Amino acid sequence: MIEDLILKLKKEIIDQLQVEGVAPEDVDPEAPLFGEGGLGFDSIDVLELVVLLDKNYGIKIQGPKEGPKIFYSIKTIAEYILDHQKK
Amino acid sequence: MKFTLIYPKWKKLRGQTEFHLPPHGPIVFAATLPRDVEITFIDENLETIDFNDQADFIGISMMLTNQVKRGWEIADEYRKQGRQVICGGIATMLHAEETSLHADAIFLGEAEGRMEQVLDDFRSNRLRKVYDYLTDFPPIDSVGTARRDILKRQLYNYKGIQMVDLFHASRGCRFDCYPCCMSFVGGRQFRPRPIEKVVEELTTIDNNRLYIVDNSLSQDRAWEKQLFREMIPLKKKWCCHPIEDHDEVLDLAAQAGAWFVYQAIFDTSDFIRNRVKRYHDFGIGVEGTILLGLDHHTEDYIRRLIDFLLEIKLDLAEFAVLTPFPHTRAFADLHGEGRILSYNWNDYTCDKVVFQPKQMSPERLQHLYDEAWKIFYREKPQPYRMFELFKRVIDKEMADGSFQGQPRTQKNRKFGRVKLSS
Repeated sequence: MIEDLILKLKKEIIDQLQVEGVAPEDVDPEAPLFGEGGLGFDSIDVLELVVLLDKNYGIKIQGPKEGPKIFYSIKTIAEYILDHQKK
Repeated sequence: MKFTLIYPKWKKLRGQTEFHLPPHGPIVFAATLPRDVEITFIDENLETIDFNDQADFIGISMMLTNQVKRGWEIADEYRKQGRQVICGGIATMLHAEETSLHADAIFLGEAEGRMEQVLDDFRSNRLRKVYDYLTDFPPIDSVGTARRDILKRQLYNYKGIQMVDLFHASRGCRFDCYPCCMSFVGGRQFRPRPIEKVVEELTTIDNNRLYIVDNSLSQDRAWEKQLFREMIPLKKKWCCHPIEDHDEVLDLAAQAGAWFVYQAIFDTSDFIRNRVKRYHDFGIGVEGTILLGLDHHTEDYIRRLIDFLLEIKLDLAEFAVLTPFPHTRAFADLHGEGRILSYNWNDYTCDKVVFQPKQMSPERLQHLYDEAWKIFYREKPQPYRMFELFKRVIDKEMADGSFQGQPRTQKNRKFGRVKLSS
């Protein structure tokens, strides 16, 4: 189930961030979003992700502490969505 | 007259996001030129210089020490063609003698009311080698609205987000901070612009987000309060250098749209702890500029300083190695003691150690500088912290109805570094 969500998320992120020339299968879901060796996301990308989670999943990121853990990788975002939707 | 005004490129810091703010010095200078002068402005960070242009006169505006060598190259190239070049700006003032070797004229000081004469001299072929107004400040009410119309605004846009516009409400600084050249450049007398002229200029800026570049908003309480009161109805949001630590001033600043401040942090004192807390109490963010390499900085001290930054919940940290810019007290000390290791101005980027530290080797300080960034941003990466600060301004704008949607036309781009699946 999480694999399906990760694939869906990758497509949505590529679409929302208007990333060109990258297919979902090219993106490592466990790679860190930020920093060296990661996907190279910046602050504007995070803003887009927050909008995406709200728009597509009804999830609002509120707590300042949980943010960096949720936005560690695409997989952690997927885990958060699954966890959140169960509740 | 056709006048090409050039802002030379410089190398951005390692790891710095590749966005560019619209420069301020050139547009303030442009406002001092007679309106019949046809100005073409080239920001070389974003555009290529056409050395075959048809300009009559070339101006080179330099702000940073690590811009001067490129500025000199540009001047040399034009002068090889027999064209005349004038250099100005803060870095020209700091490097006047060297710059004069590469230019037909250098302009030192503030240009309001002086350019008619310079252009007359140019037309009559009697340009002076040096126009020295360094300590002869023009009346502050002669400072006009900056010529933002010379900027190609579409260049100052990152992923559809318009960058802040730079703006100044005063000149001069009564402080004389150790690493800073502002007392040399703008004098130690605080010179506030008349509030009505400030407001008049603010209303012309087609941007809700600003960077107020005044040296300090902690120099004249009555003026600060009046300024902020007048700014409240404009609903601008802005970052700036330190704001006076006074209840009413901070409250008015917050109401006037203070978003975050750049605050120098040089020790682990209660003074700094309280200063940051006070901004936060008024809903104002803090980006610390943390200077490493002062004479009392041991390795232990620097490590304690980084822990302290996390403890006081600094929103963002920008680490800088002490850099002895000419005409600062730091330069006088380190040069006098024979401790400057490089006079290559391209090395004066604030992320390279160019002097012999007192408590450790240059290599060790360089290592600690790199470590400082990593440790501070380990738990909460820099892009995430920047997002939080950015969200803060959006929330403020949503609250007062001033939020403007961003055009998405320039958003297309690739991931910075795509990590492929294994």
